[in-house]
Amino acid sequence: MKKNSLCGFAVLALIVAGSAIGAEKLHIEGSTTVGPIADGFAEVFKDMYPDVTITVNKSGSGTGAAALIDGRCDIATMSRFMKDQEFKDAVARGAFPVAHVVAMDGVCVVVHPSNPVNALTSGQVRDIYLGKIRSWKEVGGPDIPMVVISRDTESGTYDTFDSFIMKKQKMASSVEYVTSNPQAFARVKNTPGAIGYVGYGFVQTGIKAITLDGVKPSIQTIMSGKYPVSRPLFMFTNGYPELGSMTHKFVTFHLTERGQEVVEDKGFVAVTSY
Amino acid sequence: MKSRYRTIFDKIFTVTTGLAVLLLVVVLFVILGPMLLRGFSAVLFKGTVEFRKMQLAEFGHGDPEQVRVESERADAVRANVYELIDNFKSGVDIEQLTDRAKEIYRNYGNELRLRELPREQYTALRSLSREIRNRLTDAFSSNSIEQIREHIEYVLQFEDDERFVNTTASGFFQLARQYQKAAAATDLDKRQEYAVELAELEDIITELLGPSPTEDSPALAQFRYGATRWDQAQKLLHRLRWKERWVEPSGKGNLNAESGVSLVRQEFSRKEQFDGTELEPLFGYIEENIDRMLEPKTTFYWRYFLDDSTPGHYFGGIGPEILGTLLLTLLSMIFVVPFGVISAAYLTECTKEGPIIRIIRMCVNTLAGVPSIVFGLFGVAFFVIFLIPLFGGPSQPCILAGSMTLAVLTLPVMIRSSEEAIRTVPRTYKEASLALGASGFRTFMTVTLPAALPGILTGVILSLSRVAGETAPILFTAGITVGPVPDSIFQKTRTLSYGSWDMAVGDKLSAQVPHNQFGMVVALILLILILNALAVFMRSRVFKRLKGQ
Repeated sequence: MKKNSLCGFAVLALIVAGSAIGAEKLHIEGSTTVGPIADGFAEVFKDMYPDVTITVNKSGSGTGAAALIDGRCDIATMSRFMKDQEFKDAVARGAFPVAHVVAMDGVCVVVHPSNPVNALTSGQVRDIYLGKIRSWKEVGGPDIPMVVISRDTESGTYDTFDSFIMKKQKMASSVEYVTSNPQAFARVKNTPGAIGYVGYGFVQTGIKAITLDGVKPSIQTIMSGKYPVSRPLFMFTNGYPELGSMTHKFVTFHLTERGQEVVEDKGFVAVTSY
Repeated sequence: MKSRYRTIFDKIFTVTTGLAVLLLVVVLFVILGPMLLRGFSAVLFKGTVEFRKMQLAEFGHGDPEQVRVESERADAVRANVYELIDNFKSGVDIEQLTDRAKEIYRNYGNELRLRELPREQYTALRSLSREIRNRLTDAFSSNSIEQIREHIEYVLQFEDDERFVNTTASGFFQLARQYQKAAAATDLDKRQEYAVELAELEDIITELLGPSPTEDSPALAQFRYGATRWDQAQKLLHRLRWKERWVEPSGKGNLNAESGVSLVRQEFSRKEQFDGTELEPLFGYIEENIDRMLEPKTTFYWRYFLDDSTPGHYFGGIGPEILGTLLLTLLSMIFVVPFGVISAAYLTECTKEGPIIRIIRMCVNTLAGVPSIVFGLFGVAFFVIFLIPLFGGPSQPCILAGSMTLAVLTLPVMIRSSEEAIRTVPRTYKEASLALGASGFRTFMTVTLPAALPGILTGVILSLSRVAGETAPILFTAGITVGPVPDSIFQKTRTLSYGSWDMAVGDKLSAQVPHNQFGMVVALILLILILNALAVFMRSRVFKRLKGQ
């Protein structure tokens, strides 16, 4: 009996403690791609505003949008723009999503570094993913079969690649799907005949980025939009946040010098150039 | 005859089953062994002075005095590295030199303005300093040694000019002298090439030793320190020594442009690239003194299981994750055990076998096979959006919602195992109790339930392991990847399973700190083992009591 009442008190204490705390809170929900930027901002904000509790969750762009509409988060991170339906739902529920572009990302076509092929056109890449080109020999490489890697169809990276390169045509059935950027990176790194695509931040030692339509992916070409597969990364808020509020500070942090540093450290292309 | 065959078959059977078990054990070791080994390296490793600096600054662990002494000792050895680089750079990095000349000019201009000189004197000094600046920048960008000498000589003729002595303009002359010396020692035509290589080299040194003391502190903790672990340092040292390149396999003569050949990996000595320059001794110096620069020490980081981490798990431990997993698991057990036992009691004691019971049982079995993500979505729709707000709680994912979702997920397991346990209680026990005049409820509470307890605990063990490892149901109902330690059950929490998933898919961090990812996985395995051991211990206690020992 005594034990039971003790347990009861413990639970009660937890509940009371929870309701007593009224510090400012910021919850960020959404994309796994933009999540790391939010992580970085949260880390800097922890030092700058110790009283504010910031929580970040990475459950996908769609979940982020839904949470923003339902009022379950303050900021939704998204690697794509909101869809028609999401906007309609939002307006119907009295929420007005405002987009803040926090960074740019290029989707880079990558191959194993042993591959002598350095440049492809987007038409060639499309043919590779359509299964029309099956050997590296056909594009000036050695005579080894291609291992074609794509991201899963749910990801924003896939969306971008699908509309810019594939022009919405269906990929061949021989294409292998992986579910994250790190996985795509690892697969290409360990397979000499592989071709895949990853976000710009994942182009590092171990894989080689291909010059696409004569443009090499770099900070300059992605920022200026010269590189053909560039996309903005978003944070959405419900209406423009009240000036000076924590939400406002968070979604404009990328415009500061410190914010730019974080964006770049996380492997994305900043929109500012200090 | 027949019996002989039978014994032979028997023996073969014994041997094969034995082999199968052996195979299972070996496979377990092959899979788990490396994982455990790498996981334990998150706790036991050789930490460098950078690790101790990080621990002190980020988490407040360690003796400040000792860390200060250590890092000063290391800094003294490192100073030489930075000096060598700075010297070399002053001959190579045109941009930086030009920036510095411009800065001196600007500062001197400000200083002049404040000195309230007569108008014409001000203008004269101003234009002279501009001329000096231009001459310097010309000298920096020139590739001809004669021109450089000419420009520098022009600049240096004002060195002892009393108008410039003790002003910021004296910076011009320091810069000029430095450059004069560096230019004489550098092959000017190769400057561009050197600049690229130098940038790469500096990046590696920053990763190895941390940002140079003159730089601003980086925004993210990840970049504030050098290699915190000795194995990391060794890898970086290799990269410092060797530069990776992909080249054609048999020299250029053999190249067939029509059908390309696969390139092969080759490692070039970085040192050779800087042969004959001021930077050459750097490589030998770092290799000889790396021990003194980093002071590796075997570190037992037991606080790994308690410490918070920097967002993204680059540094620090997994304390909040362990706490979150424990809270979720135990709370979900509190929900699932009563419901499971009551449902099982209903199914076994209160009704007769019939079509309705069969349908209920089928539903329970089907529920056990539903993918966990479905429970996650159900949890959001029912607990987060409907049930908790109904009782006045916040419509937010939280530990309470997460644990209730997990409870629903594991309810079928609990019901089935409790049902089996209750069914195995001998009828005679119940009959004896009923014969003594006890009611059905009393019989169940005092006779059946205690006798079924060991079986119910088996159900708890099974549920525990499942719940602690689940990611999908808590993704939407309780989990976050970055956030504070929860102080109530109405807050979101980090967990071990979700944390390791996040590390694997989101950032590129997991490739850089594999020990942290493995550490998290191993901690999860250990946690489940410990919880299970506790449950098994409880079960054996109950058994003993039942037997009256």
